Amino acid sequence: MPTVTFLPGFRKTELPSGSTILQAAQQAGIHMNVVCGGLGKCGKCTVYVKSGRYDFDREKYGKFFTPEELEAGACLACQTSVLGDVRVLIPEESIVQEQKILIDVMGTTTELNPAVWKYALRLSPPSLDDPSPDLTRLLWGIEKSGGPNEGDIYAPLEVIRRIPRVLRESGWRVTATVVLVPGGYRLVDIERGDTTPACYGAAVDLGTTTIVVFIRNLIDGSIMGVASNYNRQISCGEDILSRVTFARKGGLKKLQALAAESINAAITEAANNAGIDRDHIYEVVVAGNTIMTHILMGIDPAYMIEEPYVPVVRRYLTAAASRAGLEVGENSGLFIFPAVSDFIGGDIIADILASGMAEQEDISLLIDIGTNFEVVLGNRDWMFACAGAAGPALEGGEVLFGMRANAGAIEQISLDLETFTPAYRTIQHTKPKGICGSGLIDLLAELLRACIIDRTGRINTAIEHERIRSGRQVPEFVVAWKGETGIGKDIVITENDVKALIMSKASILAACRTLMKQAGITHAEIARIYFSGAFGNYISKENAITIGLIPEVPVERIFPIGNGAIEGANLVLLNRRKKRFLDEIARKIAYIELNAEPSFMDEYTGSCFLPHTDLSLFPTVEEMLEKCRLRRGVP
Amino acid sequence: MTISTLSDWTGEVGTVTIGATKADGGTRSGTVTIGGERDLAFIGNPPTGNRPLIAYELCDDPSLWPAPVIRFLGDRASDPAEWARFAAGEYRPDLIRLYLTSTRKRGFSAFAAITTTVENILQATGLPLIIEGSNDPELDSEVFRRIGEAGEGERLLIGTAEAGRYRSIAASAMAFGHLVIAQSPIDINLAKQLNILLREIGLPHDRIVIDPYTGALGYGFEYSYSVMERIRTAALKGDDDLAMPMISSAIDSLTVKEVREADPSASDRTSVAWELYAMLPATVAGASIVCVRHPSTIQPLKAAIEALWSPPGGGA
Repeated sequence: MPTVTFLPGFRKTELPSGSTILQAAQQAGIHMNVVCGGLGKCGKCTVYVKSGRYDFDREKYGKFFTPEELEAGACLACQTSVLGDVRVLIPEESIVQEQKILIDVMGTTTELNPAVWKYALRLSPPSLDDPSPDLTRLLWGIEKSGGPNEGDIYAPLEVIRRIPRVLRESGWRVTATVVLVPGGYRLVDIERGDTTPACYGAAVDLGTTTIVVFIRNLIDGSIMGVASNYNRQISCGEDILSRVTFARKGGLKKLQALAAESINAAITEAANNAGIDRDHIYEVVVAGNTIMTHILMGIDPAYMIEEPYVPVVRRYLTAAASRAGLEVGENSGLFIFPAVSDFIGGDIIADILASGMAEQEDISLLIDIGTNFEVVLGNRDWMFACAGAAGPALEGGEVLFGMRANAGAIEQISLDLETFTPAYRTIQHTKPKGICGSGLIDLLAELLRACIIDRTGRINTAIEHERIRSGRQVPEFVVAWKGETGIGKDIVITENDVKALIMSKASILAACRTLMKQAGITHAEIARIYFSGAFGNYISKENAITIGLIPEVPVERIFPIGNGAIEGANLVLLNRRKKRFLDEIARKIAYIELNAEPSFMDEYTGSCFLPHTDLSLFPTVEEMLEKCRLRRGVP
Repeated sequence: MTISTLSDWTGEVGTVTIGATKADGGTRSGTVTIGGERDLAFIGNPPTGNRPLIAYELCDDPSLWPAPVIRFLGDRASDPAEWARFAAGEYRPDLIRLYLTSTRKRGFSAFAAITTTVENILQATGLPLIIEGSNDPELDSEVFRRIGEAGEGERLLIGTAEAGRYRSIAASAMAFGHLVIAQSPIDINLAKQLNILLREIGLPHDRIVIDPYTGALGYGFEYSYSVMERIRTAALKGDDDLAMPMISSAIDSLTVKEVREADPSASDRTSVAWELYAMLPATVAGASIVCVRHPSTIQPLKAAIEALWSPPGGGA
């Protein structure tokens, strides 16, 4: 079998001739960018084959590369077959990198009402005078310590098997752990001695791309450990649809295992950092999108992506954590947030819970932005929700120098409105390699203020300036000159990039406006806008309004809630009384299918303008832009 | 019979005057004014605003023109000035609309000919003029500068500005005192967006005429109708960025299959019918200028508009 050696690092792997380099990378444990799921469409899995026999169709895929790159052996890893021993260089850009993942120390306070109790018991040994069975003795002990009635506690066989030995070996001093599950109280563990301080739970945000885990002490609510990593399913396709496709082709089991593996890895890391034993985690609460949670539970998601797009379950799910392959206490509980529809999943219910909008009388608008976006409008009495595709532009995809929020991404930028000289900040303060979502929003707003682009996003090439040039196919604006970047070429934003961004922002604004119309409210009636997701924490509120990504409201009404999914999961872990409320929220939400909404297209076209065709919706932006235009004079 | 309205509109359509007489610094024998409506078309007795007008369309390169019209005209079609003189004299349209189709051929570079053609048309007719230039960003700047220069002082209506290429046309209009047709692809939002873009580069609203684009009957005309109606109601509700008069052209009507494949003996009749039945409802939807290519369409269309404007024997 041929050997593939990956440079730099010389990691080696063997696999059958004819396998792709991507497969080899996966086998070697290297996580590559495969945005398209390995179909040869995205061009993100570039590698350079340095030596060896291989097969790659340069005619077909040459469009992804410059002649120099081809000369250097550039190939797409997913489309290159290995025919003999090869040495492959993987450039940094092709490897999935540490991303800015949002870990928020929870700001919301809640009552501490966990669903787990530990009882330290000193039991008297049985005798001929007191011959009651071991289990009864144990359960009576729990009842006497203030726990549930002996007859109300269910003891699973695995725990019963351990009782006689543990009781006797410990000299009748044990700790019993009881968890409240929908079926009632359940005895989940018996340990020697007093282990009552070791009582933990895990809150998990199971995202399509990343996983975040919090381990909480369930006695005082404190945070024990936090960890995050990539969802290892990325090697089976980057976006959600490619995962479902993978599941359809018999890959459900693999995806399920990868999801569990990713959660386990994060839990292990967090537990190790905190110096605690994973077996002392008695409940795992997971908030994730509908497809992710279905896959984790091993439920086939295939029918959700076909008309009429129904999920299998619309209420919360519980099971023993071990049945999903989670390596925590053997009988620990697993709680999965309810989903509403294919696109409004448990993560959004968690956002709603974390924002508190379902408890308020005022009307709030909640926006969760990713490749797909979700919007929820409502208050404690009613809620409308919708979801749509914003395209990858706001996450840096489909933009020439767009990138995820990795090191070297320009995350903040402003322009000198006279000289057009940019001032920017990159993640980790390294030389710029590209621009991430928050930087792109800033840039769009600044180009508009500087009158370099018009309201439809066209670059005014009539302006004579070294940074404005006609580009290879479309006009472009130079953000950073070759010499100052970390990639050896000018970083530019092209007119096509600007248009892709406008289309992305338009679909989000149009979704907001469609819900507002449905509810019959105006932007003045929106008391709060909640921004969920990593993105919301880093973007400038003013610039988001300037470009018309969100309706214009006074900026003090906008609240980034950070990672709402993990916050919601934490809330439920610490306060079991929230669980029932989740089903209530899920039932209350009326899901609006944007494709079936005739006014949506009209709203979308109206929103494909900076900030919007109806200028009266953005009065302060208008005033500001008017000043900018006057200052520059009529071009 | 008079139709009266119960609507309480707050806005009105702005007026636009095309052409300039000697007194205004031009050479036209008269000017025309469109717009000014305070209600939907043909509502009220007399209706509000100005009566819809008819523009007759011709071109400087007939190889790109519908065959039935060329057959009808014969040799006249080879000389735009002669063509204009004939149509204006015999059929009495309100305006002449010249398409510089020569600029749309591959490799066009005869910029000097544009000046000559525009000057010849100005000589041939005293009617106010609409001039359509190139639709290629590479040529626009030079072509529209030539048009603007040749017609300086004549208050021409020049076209066609689109969201993707409006700067050269607007620049020429502002430099030489002309008016601009702003065309968008059958969409009220896009129509408004273009008007905002034009306003922001300094072209005032009273120098813009909206072309919402008109599909042929049976080939999307109903979309155009409803967009024109929506533009008009938006204007009447007070949206200044849509309060301009509209122009509608039966541009696709003579290339539809039914006209192309009509029996030669019925060619003229079919052409006239197809143009007439698209342009009359366009005026009802709110168009202030309707355009036709077959000379024989002009008179029946004029009579039909007149009958709607002041109904025979009707009106209290």
